[in-house]
Amino acid sequence: MKINLKRIYISVTIGTITGHVLFMLSDAGRGKRMKKFVLKRLGTGALVVLFSVLFNFVIIRLAPGDPTRLLAGKDNPNPELIAGLRARYGLDKPILTQFWIYIKQLMHGDFGYSYVSSSTVWDLIKTRIGPTLMVSLTGAILAVLIGTLLGVYAARKKGEKIDIFLCSISYLFDSTPSFWLGLMMILLFSSILKWFPTSGMYNLRANYTGFAHTADVLKHLFLPVTTLTLINIPYYFRIARSSVLQTMSEDFIMTLRATGMSERKIFNKYVMRNAIIPTITVFGITLAYIITGVAMIEIVFAWPGMGRLMLDSITKRDYPTLSGIYLLLSISVAVMMIVVDVVYAWVDPRIRY
Amino acid sequence: MAKSRTKNRIHAIWHTIQGNSQLKVGLILLAVLLFVAIFGPMLAPYNPNRLYSETFSAPGGKFFLGTDNLGHDIWSQILYGASTSLEIGVIAAVISAVIGIAVGGIAGFYGGLADRILNEIMNMFLMLPTFFLILLIIATFGSSMMNVMIVIGLTSWVGNARLMRAQAISIKERTYIKSSIAIGEDRFSILVRHVLPNGIFPIIANTTMNISGAILTEAGLSFLGLGDPNVISWGQIIANGKSYLPRCWWICTFPGIATIFTVLTFFLLGEGLNRVLSPKMDANK
Repeated sequence: MKINLKRIYISVTIGTITGHVLFMLSDAGRGKRMKKFVLKRLGTGALVVLFSVLFNFVIIRLAPGDPTRLLAGKDNPNPELIAGLRARYGLDKPILTQFWIYIKQLMHGDFGYSYVSSSTVWDLIKTRIGPTLMVSLTGAILAVLIGTLLGVYAARKKGEKIDIFLCSISYLFDSTPSFWLGLMMILLFSSILKWFPTSGMYNLRANYTGFAHTADVLKHLFLPVTTLTLINIPYYFRIARSSVLQTMSEDFIMTLRATGMSERKIFNKYVMRNAIIPTITVFGITLAYIITGVAMIEIVFAWPGMGRLMLDSITKRDYPTLSGIYLLLSISVAVMMIVVDVVYAWVDPRIRY
Repeated sequence: MAKSRTKNRIHAIWHTIQGNSQLKVGLILLAVLLFVAIFGPMLAPYNPNRLYSETFSAPGGKFFLGTDNLGHDIWSQILYGASTSLEIGVIAAVISAVIGIAVGGIAGFYGGLADRILNEIMNMFLMLPTFFLILLIIATFGSSMMNVMIVIGLTSWVGNARLMRAQAISIKERTYIKSSIAIGEDRFSILVRHVLPNGIFPIIANTTMNISGAILTEAGLSFLGLGDPNVISWGQIIANGKSYLPRCWWICTFPGIATIFTVLTFFLLGEGLNRVLSPKMDANK
């Protein structure tokens, strides 16, 4: 089916209005540079999307195997049927015309049909986004909270045993493949301790409703979210630790100490405010990759999200679905990155742009 | 005289290693890893590709780490898999270093239009969903080891390029470069002979880190069934063992530990080198 075009127009309008509000809020000279910066980032974003579209078009044509042969059936390749299919999908037209048609389809929000299942790519993707966001958003928020707290704590205890211990653990988890950690979680908590179900999103046999259903989903959610959180904590831990240490070594902190201000007040009021900015950036970048970052974990836990769809389309060589996912991802990543950059530049006036 | 200088240098290097715990641990792990990768085929008690009649045998006994569903000896497979991981990790990281140094060096040193175009390309690459891009290319064009290395290399150079660009911009302003330009040395030869060799140190540290990233990516790819089917890789062993998980836990567990060990090695080495080689990191010691 088609993406709701109205929604896209509304979001573009909101984006433009937000840009103007930002422009007016900031003082004139900075606002002008800001506007230029925003426009520049939008230009890069547009290039990325264009590149992704072109790349998608090329890769589908280069993929081994003729799709019409696939659709016509392997055993009895009827030449008339193949010719009909070629005409139907526009494959008999010159390559540039095909590209134009492809772009026109995309403008209408049409990602094409899946080779394998009898539905459109967009329909396939639509049902998977919800479960993916459920895992990845929860995991991202937990990771940023726990990681930052641990990082700040380790920075304050710098050089002590607990700091060295936390740093070592962070290296260890940073080196762990997420899918393997997921398997080990299943082994420990599902097979040995039998605390949580191994896979899926809900118990198919039980047919719960209402509160029992929610509880069931939460129970299934626990292991994937824990795995994702454990994998992502080290980033936030190290960012928070090093930026707190960095800020503490700045001259203005020394000056504040010289005024006799209490260590606690210096820390809460001045160190934290400056040290938290890199964490916000990293969180923004995590949000940009919110759909892909969790794919491997979804596959391990058979969670019915985008990762699962991705794996299925790989094993079935369903190129339209793969490239539809890819296109959607690149657009969302580009948009999120631009938002992060602009917000970052706005929050921290020291940044050069 | 020369001898004592060498001695001093060795002493200085030893001192640096002693004061840098990440580097110290990383080097020890690297030594173990290289030993395994080089002598793995000799250390392996069995032929990793042979199917023994004892399927699903538990660790201990005749097979140190047990056997899988077809009767492969897991310990021998892990030993052979080490060289696959290292090869892919190192070559992919070197490809990304070479591209990064070239692009970043040219952008930073020449500036102007070249810089603007290359910088725009870097910004574009930063916005691409890399892992999925790799996945799509491998799924389409086949999963030979060569493809995997090249694709990982081609998608991970941006970090190196940005480091090199910053280095080139700062080195360009130094007196010795200005004097080289003044005496009429060729610009390209200045770039290759002076700017690149002097600015390369942060890239060495970053490339070491990239090795661990590439090994993790390769493990992920082969776990998804997109690894080279003709070589033994840890990700493939884990993927295979997944189906037998609750009962035959050893098939999955040990290759995972081997992966962690390898990734950790290059991660620590990279962190350690970063502290030694890039002056900015001093504050974070």
